[in-house]
Amino acid sequence: MQRKNTIKTILILLLVFWALYALWPTYKVQSLAPEKRSALENEGKLASLIKKAIHMGLDLQGGMYLTLEVDLPQLIEQLARNRDDRFDSIFQRTREEINVSTEDFLTLLSRNFRQEDIPLSRYWGERGDSDKKIIDYLEKEAKDAMDRSLQKLQNRIDQFGVSEPSIQKVGSQRILIQLPGISNPDRAKELIGKTALLEFTLLKDPTVVSEVIEKIDKALAQERGKGKTESLNQDTTQAERISKASQDKVVSVSQLFGEEEVSKVGATKEDTSLVVDEQIFKENPFIALLRTSRRGESQVSVPIENIKAVDRILSRPDIQKLIPVDAEFLWDAEDFQISDRFYRSLYLLNKRTEMTGRYLTDARVTIGSDVQNAGRPEVNFTLDRQGARIFSRLSGANINKQLAIVLDGRVVSAPRIQTKISDGRGRITGIPEMDEAKMIAIVLRVGALPAPVQIVEERTVGPSLGQDSIYRGKMSAVIGLALTVFFMILYYRMAGAIADVALLLNVLILMAVLAQFHFTLTLPGVAGIVLTIGMAVDANVLVYERIREELRTGKTVRAAIDAGYSRAFLTIFDSNLTTLLTALVLYQFGTGPIRGFAVTVSIGIVVSMFTALVVTRVIFDFMTARRTLTKLSI
Amino acid sequence: MEIFQTPNIDFVSKRRYAYIISLVMILIGAVSLIVHGGPNYGIDFKGGTSLVLRFQKSVTTPEIRNALASIGMGTSEIKNFGTRNEYLIYIAQQKGTSASEIAQNIEKAISQAFTENPFEVMKVDTVGPKVGRELRKAALLATLLSLLLILIYVGWRFEFIFSFGAVIALFHDVFITLGIFSLLNFEISLKEIAAFLTLVGYSLNDTIVVFDRIRENLKVLRNDDLPTIINRSVNQVLSRTIITGFTTFLVLVVLFVLGGEVIRGFSFAMLVGILVGTYSSVYVASPIVLEWQQRRGGKRELRMAKRKSH
Repeated sequence: MQRKNTIKTILILLLVFWALYALWPTYKVQSLAPEKRSALENEGKLASLIKKAIHMGLDLQGGMYLTLEVDLPQLIEQLARNRDDRFDSIFQRTREEINVSTEDFLTLLSRNFRQEDIPLSRYWGERGDSDKKIIDYLEKEAKDAMDRSLQKLQNRIDQFGVSEPSIQKVGSQRILIQLPGISNPDRAKELIGKTALLEFTLLKDPTVVSEVIEKIDKALAQERGKGKTESLNQDTTQAERISKASQDKVVSVSQLFGEEEVSKVGATKEDTSLVVDEQIFKENPFIALLRTSRRGESQVSVPIENIKAVDRILSRPDIQKLIPVDAEFLWDAEDFQISDRFYRSLYLLNKRTEMTGRYLTDARVTIGSDVQNAGRPEVNFTLDRQGARIFSRLSGANINKQLAIVLDGRVVSAPRIQTKISDGRGRITGIPEMDEAKMIAIVLRVGALPAPVQIVEERTVGPSLGQDSIYRGKMSAVIGLALTVFFMILYYRMAGAIADVALLLNVLILMAVLAQFHFTLTLPGVAGIVLTIGMAVDANVLVYERIREELRTGKTVRAAIDAGYSRAFLTIFDSNLTTLLTALVLYQFGTGPIRGFAVTVSIGIVVSMFTALVVTRVIFDFMTARRTLTKLSI
Repeated sequence: MEIFQTPNIDFVSKRRYAYIISLVMILIGAVSLIVHGGPNYGIDFKGGTSLVLRFQKSVTTPEIRNALASIGMGTSEIKNFGTRNEYLIYIAQQKGTSASEIAQNIEKAISQAFTENPFEVMKVDTVGPKVGRELRKAALLATLLSLLLILIYVGWRFEFIFSFGAVIALFHDVFITLGIFSLLNFEISLKEIAAFLTLVGYSLNDTIVVFDRIRENLKVLRNDDLPTIINRSVNQVLSRTIITGFTTFLVLVVLFVLGGEVIRGFSFAMLVGILVGTYSSVYVASPIVLEWQQRRGGKRELRMAKRKSH
């Protein structure tokens, strides 16, 4: 007995030393004065210290948590050849179904094709390949695209300079990114969310542009004028009409269209007002929404208030039919300002892309030096030899035409080709901010993602909320602990104090385990610690109540203690195990913060079994070993 | 100090009242759930975008609403979040605009409207509709799986009927807590689900302590009938039940008051759960064992009587 206790005592002491050792870095990091902190940082020792300290979740230290979904359907669609209407309709249907289904996209797709009795080999792989072989091939492509996306995102984030980012694959088409302590979340989101597909596309001729616009205008006017007599005055050409500096006014939508017609033009109540000249609007409902700044150019300018309405009109199927099949409308990436009004350019481009950014070898930020762009950031890029050749041919054949540089479906610039460019160098101008130029350069250098990504979940916690949460968590833990300790002494006297020793040890070891094994502490995790403080005394309460019962039956102190511990053990084990079970399930299903909770609760339970049973027992044994107690303070 | 030295309260005979109280509580909760059209899901489950902004100077809800109206989001949910200058803005998922774009638009609109009153973005949550659905499924699955595991474990350690009683008690606890949440129109998000599962664990903990004592007493007190044994067992562990309940309740009150807005729902769910869980382990779990045993026992006696008459 005596020997056994000596071993136990040594074990407990070792554990306490280990816990203190494991927690030392955490204590140090937390208590560092700012000047000492920067001194350590300069010596390069801070990082290793922080690594050993308890790792705090994004909800405590602040930062951004993003879940991206890689658009695998898009990738698979791009891999297909000989696409036809049937393909498009089946594909579209599958895309809609996947939103409500829990099944894999490929499973769904192959079933839909089978239902229509179309072999997959008609669009993918070799003729006569079995469906299974093609699915395997597409699966491999998808997996490959995921890996490349991960790699590219990693590169982008590294170049952006975030400390300790975490990027991991989740499931078959998601990527989880954690960026602690990020200062500009919007910029980071842009950096990550950009596909960075760079395309060089020719603009349609100005004449084609005005033709299309007139057609749309006419169609809308007819719709509006249904029942009214046609009274379109054709004296002035439409183009002149657009350019005529008009008496713009902010007019409410319902005022313009009348309540009933609002929906017809595609406007909803969301756009509370549009900027139009009422005179022009009466006859040219579409043109009235547009302005043009320079004549003879292929773009039109749109006051930003009207962008939504224009978008809705352009996306209507009947209007889509009026746009040539080889052309599409794209917006400019940036707004510009004339006097106090903001505009955005709208371009009509060829659908066919002349060249993509895959030939790009480098992209750097520089400051513009020519008159027009002096002092403004721009991105210079270099093409490889093959790219330079294509570019040279392209520019040579299209002198005096406008070539749009399109990044992710937005026109970043549309310079007019002045001469044949054969050195394979180009630049993107008109970037308003340095930060943005840097980001564009990074994404161009790293290259396009193999498929577009979409942010499906975002959790950002600002640094001050994190600080707030840490402070509140600490307060709650300290006060909760103090109250529990006080109550136990009040209720159980000496024995209560012993239980308190166990409780303090419990918290100490729990924290040490978090630090040593690199678990992440989250706000719910802190709540778990506080909860553990309240629940951990349960084991001691069970034992003590049992001892009291045994004492009442007239047993000696020693015998009562023995009986108390041994009889309560199974109960404690059973009841703790079920709590542990639910915590483990929570860990399995929960996301970041909840996992933190499951972790602290689980560790707390396991540790409390040790501290409440072993540690308190050793203390009791020491007390009863020296002299025979006739009365127990319990 | 001792609150109950040797309590001798007749819990079993009062169990019918307890059933009525439980039923009424569950019914009130159910009615509230029906009236509200299901639980009030938080952003994790319904998707959308929510922002918490801390302004330097005080602002009012209508001021924020006006600012949002300029970008057509005047119908957003706006509520005070903790202190006077902190506001939470929630916007449901919108077609065509990605959720994170919405967050950016809101920030822009508000900074334009309050040029004199700078704000800090404390928190942004955006959850896509698909993710929301998945999280809802995961939460449901987690709850069911925990209940199943408990059923298996308790069934293995005790007799089946005990585990049946335990699980009924757990459903009882979760339903009542859910009902109270619905009644007070509190939101249910992932953290609250974690709280529900934890309260399931806690309530079970209590129940097992009682069951353990019943099992022990069944061996020792062979001549007593089940109601007597249950009564005695509950009384024997009563002070433990109350003391542990009290210390846990104590720390949760601290957490509820000091823990801040972010985990208020969590600590509230746990607070309610501790009360309901303690009550159920005394008044629900054991009486169910008794009801079952009496019915089964009754049948057995009936059969034996028939055999005798032949």
